[in-house]
Amino acid sequence: MRYGLLVEGAPYSSQASHSALRFAAALIAKGHRLESVFFYHDGVYNAARLVAPPQDEPHLYDAWCSLNAEHGTRLQVCIAAALRRGLLDAREADRHGKAGHSVESPFELTGLGQLIDLGRAVDRLVTFAP
Amino acid sequence: MILHILNRPPSSSLAYRDALVAMGSEDRLLLIEDGVLGAMTAQVRHFQAIDGRLFALREDLNARGLLGQCDASVQVVDVDGFVTLTEEADKTVSWF
Repeated sequence: MRYGLLVEGAPYSSQASHSALRFAAALIAKGHRLESVFFYHDGVYNAARLVAPPQDEPHLYDAWCSLNAEHGTRLQVCIAAALRRGLLDAREADRHGKAGHSVESPFELTGLGQLIDLGRAVDRLVTFAP
Repeated sequence: MILHILNRPPSSSLAYRDALVAMGSEDRLLLIEDGVLGAMTAQVRHFQAIDGRLFALREDLNARGLLGQCDASVQVVDVDGFVTLTEEADKTVSWF
């Protein structure tokens, strides 16, 4: 089956990211395909490229990137939720006159319409919220 | 059949009421994260209406030291069982 995940919890604030990553690993191990993880509301903080957690704690950002590198899972971030929280890729940073950017590939800023598309394209969409 | 997923316990949130009202006669409810507290005998009475269709996630029970303290009416599944529940359902709805 084709799966999509919707993550609405910020990393290190709620269990949502951990639950989603654990579910992702399990569904892939069972032979399913994880098409995309869509980050919405405070979930967009998962895309912050500068996160630097203590070395003895799970590195959630790296875990998301591994899903993309190893399984081709898209990491889509709601652009409206991201911009108002200071999460901008290089293009948006330039457009808004900001000195640096906080989002980069494999995360991609997309519109909410992409979430609707994802919901229609996959067999199962599972939400992990704070 | 819809799989409903609840991550809050009856003792701290009324989200379970919305879930129960929305559930169809064949639907299932999976308790995850802090929601697994609802599987304890002291709280499980809130889910009497869906007897036999209540599940709790093993990993989240274990993380809270509650594995083995679930009420006998609750079916404990691990994360693989969570995936299976989503396979068997037509879709999922999360309550929080």
